[in-house]
Formats: sequence, structure tokens, C-alpha cells
Amino acid sequence: MGVGTILQIDIVGWLSGLPSWIYLVISGLFSLVWAFFNWIWSIVVWFWALAISQIWWLFKAIVFPGLVFILFSIIFSVWFTRKVWGRVQARRGPFHLGKYGGLQVFADAIKLIGKEIVIPDKAKRWMYRILPSLLLIAVLVPFAFIPWSNEWYIADLSVSLIVTFAFLTVVPVVSLLSGWISGSKYTLIGGFRAANNQFAAEIPLIISSVGPAMLAGSLSIMGISQAQSSLWYFLLLPVNCVTFMVSATVITALVPFDAPVADSEILFGWRTEFSGIYFTMTYFAEFAKQLLFSGLIVALFFGGSYGFAFMPPVLNFIFKFLIVLFFMILVTSSFYRMRQDQVTHFCWKYLLPLSLLNVVIAMFAIVYVPGLAQLLGIGG
Amino acid sequence: MCPEIVDEAAQVWFGPQHVSAHGWATKLTIVGDYIVECDPNAGYFHRSAEKCLEFRNFQQGALIMERLCMLEAFLAEYPYVKAVEQIAQLDVPERARVMRTIMMEASRIHSLQFWWGQFGAELGLFAMTLWPWVDREYFLDAFEELTGSRHAVSYSAPGGVKYDFNEKSIKMLERALDRLEDRLPKFRDMILRSPTFKLRTKKIGLFDAAQGLKWGLSGPNIKACGIPMDLRKDDPDPNLAYEMCDWEVPVTTNEDHPGQCDAYDRMSQRFKEIETSASIIRQLLPQVPEGPIIDPKARAKANRLPEGEAYGRVEGTRGVTTLFLKTADKAQTPYRAKIRGPCFASYYSLKHLVPGSTFADFVVIFGSLDPYPGWWDR
Repeated sequence: MGVGTILQIDIVGWLSGLPSWIYLVISGLFSLVWAFFNWIWSIVVWFWALAISQIWWLFKAIVFPGLVFILFSIIFSVWFTRKVWGRVQARRGPFHLGKYGGLQVFADAIKLIGKEIVIPDKAKRWMYRILPSLLLIAVLVPFAFIPWSNEWYIADLSVSLIVTFAFLTVVPVVSLLSGWISGSKYTLIGGFRAANNQFAAEIPLIISSVGPAMLAGSLSIMGISQAQSSLWYFLLLPVNCVTFMVSATVITALVPFDAPVADSEILFGWRTEFSGIYFTMTYFAEFAKQLLFSGLIVALFFGGSYGFAFMPPVLNFIFKFLIVLFFMILVTSSFYRMRQDQVTHFCWKYLLPLSLLNVVIAMFAIVYVPGLAQLLGIGG
Repeated sequence: MCPEIVDEAAQVWFGPQHVSAHGWATKLTIVGDYIVECDPNAGYFHRSAEKCLEFRNFQQGALIMERLCMLEAFLAEYPYVKAVEQIAQLDVPERARVMRTIMMEASRIHSLQFWWGQFGAELGLFAMTLWPWVDREYFLDAFEELTGSRHAVSYSAPGGVKYDFNEKSIKMLERALDRLEDRLPKFRDMILRSPTFKLRTKKIGLFDAAQGLKWGLSGPNIKACGIPMDLRKDDPDPNLAYEMCDWEVPVTTNEDHPGQCDAYDRMSQRFKEIETSASIIRQLLPQVPEGPIIDPKARAKANRLPEGEAYGRVEGTRGVTTLFLKTADKAQTPYRAKIRGPCFASYYSLKHLVPGSTFADFVVIFGSLDPYPGWWDR
């Protein structure tokens, strides 16, 4: 070949090398996929080993005191609330589906999930879709710290009480945001009222829980509950128990303090524009919150799993838990609704001093009466 | 209002689909949590009843009237019947007069029970809604036994009543009264002494008698101010039997603010109304005389009326209910019928009552005036 043919392609040579080219490309891609698969597989193996080694914990987190149990107890508490309310209001409550209407709640949930989701024009769509799930997560996570018994619990942090309150503080933020982004004035008013309720009752709530924490010398809910093996703190801090329960009612926005979702004033408050599955989530979150506070009250004031010796510890806890839940439901069905400024007034003027007073009295008694702490069997 | 406030103001339509707006729309201008302006808008419930009356004969007209307010059907149909009787100059038999009065008072009780349950729901206690409604069922059963219908009773007719008392209907009425008298004192304690009820209703929607009369309020809303203004005493109707029994006009006077009434006073006033009505029925039931229940020639006489005009009125549950009827000579239908319902005045008095109160109190003020939309849109 002479000069001037340098630019010509050796088409035959190129064609002869084509299979190896294709082989190279395919094997390169294959090795990439293979590496990715190996990576994923290693994670699976690692996770599986972890799961097998932690199978007990996994069972607890998912089945018994964990997700499934909590979801079923939410469904139970919806049914229980409707039944108790029905009895209080001179009617029968649900009774058509299942025994004593037990399947009614499942039917309602299926109906709500199957409903069309209508998002208002003025709503921020992605927040509208995210916020209800966020709310449910924020309410469900603290259940990990509820000490159903010394064996049946999911997690135990040294500061689990504070973490629980931190998660609960997320709830009014979500309520306010969802009221804000729903694009309606009624939801906005409801959102601000939800924030107002939290603002009113959070300080009495936390101060009421200071008493048990101080007597037990621990910020872990597990530790506080174990410290009551000889004496329930309800007997030492009766006023604190009551203030805790009332503030819990305020924060959960149950009647007399249900201004955030006052149906006769602002329709359904910040939940007005939610429909279908989103409404179901916010609705379940409210009941989950009610359950969570019942659990906290039992763990902090009613001796956790200690008390009735003839029952296993878990049943002990659940029994007291049901009693507290029943009491909360009963309270919600027997008062007129308070206005939101009256709620704030009530919480700051009565609940806050009362909760402080009991803590201070218990503190002085322990410090100045020698031998009292040993006598009562309390640490801290 | 200073301009800065107006800049911050938001307008909220309260209704017509709102659960406690009962079917009308009120435009509220709110600043923060306070209502600075209230703009009632009637017209969402218009059924052109006055025009309908011009196309119905004098037997049928009362049926239109009772559909304006199903809760006080016995009372609502009466002004029309009264006006027709006045133009046709019909005599009502003694028995019919007493029976009419008894049923009107029973209707008043049942209407007030309904209102009070509804007010309980508006204040957030749903149990207080259903408890009086259970008692109300007994009255409805008695109505059904007497007239065959629980709500659309169509009882009075020109010249008498349509259905005669029988043993069973009297027994059912007495059973309803027994239950009412048994439970009313308990309810009074549960409501008027409830701390949360007092919190929500004391000093809410306060107005004095002069204002109330200027706005055209009547009935329990005025009597709660301490003024015994009651048509049953002030203008004794010859076709009714209120003079046969011994009763006083119930009034409420509050030492905290004499001559004025708030939502709490209106609630306690309505309890007194129920008691008075129950005592009137108790006194009249043994006094029902024997005789015919309707003038046999009444139907013929009311077929074509002579030219004339009449003004039928009655002390309804919510205030004075009147009907002006004008007839042309030998006409089968009225030339003009003009209805004056008591709730139009109470609805538009919100314009003066509401500004300055909080958004949450709007429901309380509104509910405490006992509104019924049928009475202002007709």
C-alpha cells in the first residue's frame, strides 16, 4: 500500500476482531452485574446472619410487642372506643359484622383504603402524600421503648423517656404542617390549634414524668418500671399521675380538649382534607397515641409489669394498660369541649403548678426524712 | 376597624355544607381567632312556600306549613289553620281546642329536646345528643299512634282536629311525659352544673332585652332576658285552651347580668319551657271534654272562603310564628300568604351578636338561639 492509504480502515481486520470486541463488552457488563449481585448477596448473607443471630429480637420487633401487636391493638382500641362510646351514649355500638361487631373496624379500614384520594388544588401534593406516613411513624416508633415485661420489650435506651417525648413532639409539627399545606382555612385553624394544645400541655406532661424518673434515678422507661417492683409510684405521686393523664389527654386531643379536631366548629381540624388511606393513617395515629400514653402511664406510675402476682408479667401490664385505656375513653365521652384559650389557661394555671408541687414535695420528703427511701424501697 | 387589621383578616364561609351550619352560609371575617365581621346569608333553604300556598286549597295549606319546620309540626301548621278559621268564622268544638293545645305543647317539648341534643353535639358532648333523643322517641311514638306519622302529622284542620284521642295514644303520651319528668331534673344537673358547659356558655352571646326586641327576637330568647313576653298569655287564643289551666310564663333572670341573657340563660330558659309545657299537658289531659272533634260543616265552609284577611299567630318553640292570609271572594286558594318565621330575626341578629367573639364561640352563639333554617327561607 502506498502513501495516502493510511486513513483507510482495514475492514477485514476489523471484522475479524469483532467477536472478541463483543465478547469484551458483554463480559465487562456481566462482571459489573456480577459484582453488583455479589454485593447485594453479601448484604443479604450478612443480614440473614444478623437476623438469625437476632431472631428473637426480630420476632419481638415484628410480632409480639412490635408492629403486628401494636397494629392489632390499635384496631382493638378503635373497636373498644366505639363500643364504650356507644354504651355511654345509650346505643349499642357496632354489632353487625363479626361477634360483637369485631370485624366492623376491619371493614371500615378496607373501605377507607379503597376510597379515592382527592387532593385539593391548593394543597402541596408531595407533602400531602408524605405527612400522614411521617405522623404514623413518629407515633409508632416510641412503642419500642414500652416495657411490656422484663423479657418482652424491643429496645431499652438509657434515655428512652426523653426519646419518646422527642418523637411525640414531632406530632404537632406534622399536624400544623398538614393543616398548612392542605390549602383550606379550616385545616389551617385546626393545625394551629393542634400546635396550641402541644404548647399548653407539653410542660406539665414532662414535669409530671420527672417525678418517677427522679425516684427511680433513671431516664429509661424500663428502669423506671423495674424500680417499682416494691411500690407503685402512683402511691407516692398521685397528683403527678393525674396531671400526666390529663396532659396526655390534651396532647392526644381527646374530648374535653379536642379543639384541634372539633367537628362542630372546624369540621375535622387539620385532618379535614385528608381522604382515603391518608385519613386512615392520621386516624390510626390518634389511637396509637392514646395507646402509647396508656402504656407510658402504666410504666411510669402503675408499676409496669409488677403488681398482681397471680398473672404473668406481660398480662399484668396489659391488664393495667386496658384499665387505663378504658378510663381515658370514658373521660372522652363525658365532657363538653373546651375552647383552645381555656385549654391553655387550664394547663398553665392548674396542671403546671400541681405537677411541680408533687415533685417538690416528694423530693423534700426523701431528702429530709431519713430512712424513708430505704423504707419505701426506692433508689435514686 | 383599622386598615392594618383588615389586611390581616381572612374570610371564612361557615356553611352551607358545614356540619353545624344546618344548611346556610355565614361569611365570617376573622382576625387571628376573633371574628370581626359576620355576614349572614339567608337563601340556601328557599322552597318558595309562600308561592306554594297560593296554589293549595285551604285544607292543603297546613301541610305546606308543617313542612317548614318538621320539629314543631303541630305548632307550625296552626297559624294557617287559625287564619282560615278566622276568615271563615268557624267554631271549634271544646274537645278539639283542648286536644290541639295538648298536642302543641307536646310538640314544643319534643322540639326543645331535639334542639338541646343538637346543642350538646355542637358543644362536643355527643352523649348529650343521644340521651334526650331517646326520650324524644317516646313523644314521636305517641304522635305516630295518634296521627299515623312521626313528623308530618297534619293534625289541626280548619274547624277542629283530624284525629281523635284514643286510650292507647293517651297512654303513650303519658308514658313519654313520665319518662321526661323522671329524667329532666337529672339532665338539668348534668348540663347546668357541668363545669365545662359553664365555661363554654357563660358570658357568651350576651345581649339585653332592648337589643333583642329591636332585632325582632321573640320566644325563649327574650324570656331568657327576664321579660315575660308570651303570646299564650298576652293574646289568649279563643281556639286554644290555655285559659283552662293554671300556669305562669317562665322567665330566667340572672343576678350576674339582670335584663341580659347569655347562652347559659337560654339553655336554662328552655328547660323551664319544657317544664311549663309538661305541666300544661298534665293539667289538660284529665280535662278533655266529650264531644265532636270537628265541626261537621267545617270542611264545606272552608272550601271557598269569603273575601277577607286574617292574621294567625302562635307562640312557637323558637318564637312568634305568624301567617298573614288574604283571600279573594269565593276563592279556593289564598290570594296571598305571608309567613313570618321566628328564626329569620335570630339568624340576622348574629350580625350584631357575633363580632368580637372567638371563632369557637360562633357555634355556641348560633346554636343557643335555636335556629331552624326552614323558618327563615320558607
